[in-house]
Amino acid sequence: MKYADRIVTAFTACAMIWAVLGMMAGVYVAAELVWPTIDFGQPALSFGRLRTLHTTLVLFGFGVSALIGTAFYSVQRTSHVRLFAPGLAWFVFYAWQLTIVLGGASVMAGWNAGKEYAELEWPFDIAIAIAWVAFAVVFFGTIGRRRMEAIYISNWFYGALIIVVAMLHIVNSLALPATIGKSYSLFAGAQDAIVQWWYGHNAVGFLLTGGFLGMLYYFLPKQAEQPIWSYRLSIVAFWAFVYTYIWAGPHHLHYHAVPEWVQSLGMVMSLILLAPSWATMVNGIMTVSAASKKLRSDPALKFIVLSLAFYGLATFEGPMLAIKSVNVFSHFTEWTIGHVHSGALGWNALITFGTFYFLVPRLAGAPLYSAKLANIHFWLALAGVMLYVLAMWGAGVSQGVLWLSLDQLGEVRFSFNDVMAAMKPYYALRFIAGLLFLSGALLMAVNLARTFAGRRTVEVAPPAGHRAGAPA
Amino acid sequence: MPVRFSIASLSTVLFRPKAVFEALAAAEPSAAKVFFGFALWIGLLPAVFAYIGTVNFGWRLGVEPVFLPQRTVFAISVAYFLALLLGFLSSAVIARWMAVTYDASQSLGRCYALMAIVGAPLAVGSVIHLYPHVFINVLVLVPTLIWSMYLLYRGLPVVLQTGPNRGMLMASALIAYLLVAAVSLLGITVALWGSGLGPLIGN
Repeated sequence: MKYADRIVTAFTACAMIWAVLGMMAGVYVAAELVWPTIDFGQPALSFGRLRTLHTTLVLFGFGVSALIGTAFYSVQRTSHVRLFAPGLAWFVFYAWQLTIVLGGASVMAGWNAGKEYAELEWPFDIAIAIAWVAFAVVFFGTIGRRRMEAIYISNWFYGALIIVVAMLHIVNSLALPATIGKSYSLFAGAQDAIVQWWYGHNAVGFLLTGGFLGMLYYFLPKQAEQPIWSYRLSIVAFWAFVYTYIWAGPHHLHYHAVPEWVQSLGMVMSLILLAPSWATMVNGIMTVSAASKKLRSDPALKFIVLSLAFYGLATFEGPMLAIKSVNVFSHFTEWTIGHVHSGALGWNALITFGTFYFLVPRLAGAPLYSAKLANIHFWLALAGVMLYVLAMWGAGVSQGVLWLSLDQLGEVRFSFNDVMAAMKPYYALRFIAGLLFLSGALLMAVNLARTFAGRRTVEVAPPAGHRAGAPA
Repeated sequence: MPVRFSIASLSTVLFRPKAVFEALAAAEPSAAKVFFGFALWIGLLPAVFAYIGTVNFGWRLGVEPVFLPQRTVFAISVAYFLALLLGFLSSAVIARWMAVTYDASQSLGRCYALMAIVGAPLAVGSVIHLYPHVFINVLVLVPTLIWSMYLLYRGLPVVLQTGPNRGMLMASALIAYLLVAAVSLLGITVALWGSGLGPLIGN
């Protein structure tokens, strides 16, 4: 019995395709903010639709495909068994990719449920729920058949991702369908907002943070050839993380029409969240600090190390922006967009890139086609994300100052139009930053495709023997 | 070539960093000398440039320039200088603290020297503060920042005497600290501003 790895290859390939397409959509909407007429009057190319397409493709196409693929890869190896129900796993693959293709098309056609990061309409919500439950069956089925006593830490994070996202998605998507392409949320007013950001922030928490920490905890020790610095710390941080994150959502609703105490609770829980987040960062940094490998010639490890730095930034910046007296300034400014991208590009994309540079040569049974291209990718990615973050800091702080400026009569001094016009240079910088990041991702896609073209696929069998005490 | 680390050696630090790295590898500088002879003075540059620029041209955020009372500008410039000083000292101390993990030299003098070299291009680049147009400042300071990061990655293994692999890891860990320090400064500034401590724009 060999490990089921073809499914991992399929998810990896699709993740790369979605990464490139999703980032292209992102660069296009960034360009629209500089040259607003390039939608050519076509509704399908309007900012509102393409921006939704961008987030759907990068989050659910790229991010989730990468997470499911790496979860299937690592759960077999940390459980010493072949994937449970491989046929069902292929169902997850086809269902998920079809949902992204049709869902993306529906967004361009103007279907929109009106909830951020949950824009897909009810038929897709049902499809997602079915595919997700099938994912859960395959994943937990594999864990149930494991030949190790302990459940390795990466599986705890992937497991939390599966359970919590199922809960969030199903509750937040509860709606009354009016037509095939339009539904209305079951919740009303402020309650709808609270449910939406309970979903929205925990999608960030359990998908973009928890899920990718699962990836980190398997692939970082593998690539660094070092055990986790403190396994106990990883477990403590996991439970603290799971307990704290679920409360943090209301910080998206500071100074809105939700109860004051709900806002304050969200703020305090966001601040506490720094502890488990940084415990994990320290664990990662200390694990890699003992790495004796040739880091300079190992692109995968470079990406993973840098992703930890941005993870540290994003998980610090988040709680800080959740403080109400900071939020009063930063809310609705580009600072928030910069924060999201320091996490999404700096942490999620970089750790996935590092993981794929590790994974694809193993799946293909051939060395990476070009380490040089991967190194160029590294610098393009670093330059892209740094420029993006700095441009948005500049834009956000300028917006904050200008919006809060009052004239002698105590009235707002600058009109919205004036402030938007002042943002143009930053938007141009952001467009360049996006192009840099996208070109790096394109190089990677070519590099991985060439690696795979020279494949001599080796199928690996689980180790023989019975229940052992510690994971491999 | 011995490096005396006085403000007179600024051009050597800027244009021949490799020579400085090698000199530092050979001889350990004293922390006090680096600080009082060099770091303190280059740290003054951005604050002075910002003061002159803001008084003469006002903050240019893309719309009409914002002029502030001279006393306010002075207070902000002093705060800017103190923040830079705190940033410099804390980075050096953090570098020394991290050195244990990465088998690097724990000499405080070396850590001071490294941070002074890394900060030098930014201090000189801050001449653009003389014209405080935010976007032009971003345009000039982003490439300067890249130069500083390059110096950090190249200089750290030599100055702190660790291997190239460990050096790269430690430099990345320091960048994480610097990013967090930068965003903290931003957060503290706007929080103080929000609570009424700071310039009253428009009044």
